[in-house]
Amino acid sequence: MALTEQGAPAGRPDRPHVFWTMRRRQLLWVWGFLAVPVLFYGVIRFYPTGHAFWLSLTDWDLMSDPSFIGLDNYTRLFADPQFGRVFRNTFAYLIMGTPISLILSFIIAYALDRVRFGHTFLRALYFLPFITTASAMAWVWRWFYQPAPIGVINDFLSGFGIPQMAFLNSTTWALPSIMVTAIWAGLGFQIIIFMAGLRAIPTTYYEAARIDGLGEWAILRRITLPLLKPTTVFLVVFSSIGFLRIFDQVYNMTTNDPGGPLGSTKPLVLMIYQTAFSSYQMGYAAAQTVVLFTILLVVSLLQLWILRERT
Amino acid sequence: MATIALRNLVKSYGKTDVIHGINLDIADGEFVVFVGPSGCGKSTTLRMIAGLEEVSGGEILIGDQVVNELDPKRRNIAMVFQNYAIYPHMTVRQNIAFGLYTSPLSREQKDARVTEAATMLGLTPLLDRRPAALSGGQRQRVAIGRAMVRDPAAFLFDEPLSNLDAQLRAQMRIEIKRLHQRLGTTIVYVTHDQVEAMTMADRIVVMRDGHILQSGTPTEIYDAPANVFTAQFIGSPSMNLLPAAEVEGRIVAQAGGPLLAGLRPHDLVVGAEEGAFAISGEVTAVEPLGPETLVHFLTEGRTVIATAPARMIPAIGSTVQASAPRGALYLFDAASEKALGRR
Repeated sequence: MALTEQGAPAGRPDRPHVFWTMRRRQLLWVWGFLAVPVLFYGVIRFYPTGHAFWLSLTDWDLMSDPSFIGLDNYTRLFADPQFGRVFRNTFAYLIMGTPISLILSFIIAYALDRVRFGHTFLRALYFLPFITTASAMAWVWRWFYQPAPIGVINDFLSGFGIPQMAFLNSTTWALPSIMVTAIWAGLGFQIIIFMAGLRAIPTTYYEAARIDGLGEWAILRRITLPLLKPTTVFLVVFSSIGFLRIFDQVYNMTTNDPGGPLGSTKPLVLMIYQTAFSSYQMGYAAAQTVVLFTILLVVSLLQLWILRERT
Repeated sequence: MATIALRNLVKSYGKTDVIHGINLDIADGEFVVFVGPSGCGKSTTLRMIAGLEEVSGGEILIGDQVVNELDPKRRNIAMVFQNYAIYPHMTVRQNIAFGLYTSPLSREQKDARVTEAATMLGLTPLLDRRPAALSGGQRQRVAIGRAMVRDPAAFLFDEPLSNLDAQLRAQMRIEIKRLHQRLGTTIVYVTHDQVEAMTMADRIVVMRDGHILQSGTPTEIYDAPANVFTAQFIGSPSMNLLPAAEVEGRIVAQAGGPLLAGLRPHDLVVGAEEGAFAISGEVTAVEPLGPETLVHFLTEGRTVIATAPARMIPAIGSTVQASAPRGALYLFDAASEKALGRR
């Protein structure tokens, strides 16, 4: 009998062609879920941002169609005496607010980290301002700053025979007064983040340092602060952006003359708000927005670069 | 260099005592290993010696000075931690030099010390690296280096090898032992690994529930365990224990008997020609290890582990007989669990 091989020839059998391969199925899922935020950010965030750049080159006033006017808005802005003032105010909030709030929140977090008694309660207490409405808080502080019988601060000062402070009505003191409110409002968040950072440092680092004979101050300087750097960098950038965009506190504490007295407390965002929604000069407001955007970008990148990890 | 002494040492958290008045004298230059299961108080004792935990009662002496109220830095000890505790933001050199942070030495002397320690530990080519670029074993060596440069009266090791893989652990065991031979400094070493205790110690201190059960050389502990716990804790696999009774001068297995008969798996050989003690049962599992095979079999409802020669692997379900020579049987009192000698 002759040898006959039956069935299909030996060798690699043909794989059935599958359209929905595992990879394609995964991609479908991934993009299915990503589509929602992509669409959301595209339409709600990125498109308007991009459009603002275009609007800044037009004279749009909400009523008529925007027409291209080149860099006119920008030349006008840099010649505007109000802009110089606003620019200085904004940086005053940033340069004083960020370091003061960071140092304050670190000291509180550092102390709170060591407190065992009522730890959770105290932490909640410090966090409370952060979840309070900015405008409500601003109005309470506004009341604090009133003259003697009404305002608690002046009332307290007069008890010691110290003359009344004008606070919100003084061109010198209005900005620092508002800044105190803003610092206080953001403190809770920064404390929580600092505490999380402190908790993340393993206790054996401290124990090893104690055995090596380091004092409290040396431990703080040589171990705690360097290991806390990622947290600090995050908070520096986050808090700087917050102070550069300050608005709520200023607007609510100076409602009679927003940004007053005499524009001494007016930050960039408030100027943009007034240009857009009081004067309806949308093109001009867009140009100011672009300037704010650039400042935020430059300041953030500069901070990240200065505080980068050197290896 | 110094002696360390514990006198009625007590540690309590609130009303709970975790260390119940232990006494121990550690000679100058001795390598003492505290061993015991988790929660036995061995780490707490070490941390009290270091000064990281307050002493609730009794005394700790380093040299002839009572150190109960001294800060860790004043005790002149160095400690190596399980997670190394080396600083990620410093180079290897800075980490080692950190041990000399408060030292009054000149810069040159400090540098010389660091170089010397690095040479001894084989870290010289790594001195300018950050810990992130080191392996686990290298990190532990850096931690040891930081302890070494201090030239302390004693080294305290808190489970230093637990985070390393088995191979590296075996290697580091030898390195630490060699280091001890070279430096001759007193070492107190805490571990839950009986192999580490056996291989490294001049003296093993077995602890359980805040008590010292036994202290002695590795051979003493292995050959003459004072109680059931020590007998089972030291030696791997664990000693087999069977309830037994003495009938007409001979030991026989007996459920509920007044004695516990202990046989180490390595003394109990499957298929041995003759022996003073014989035991048989149905094989439930075999573990071939290469040079030998561990045979688990059931006898009187209990699993017993015996050893068989390498290539002789009995079938599961078959009945085997294992026997042990005279002198290999450990007897314990079933009620008090105290040792009653060997026969």
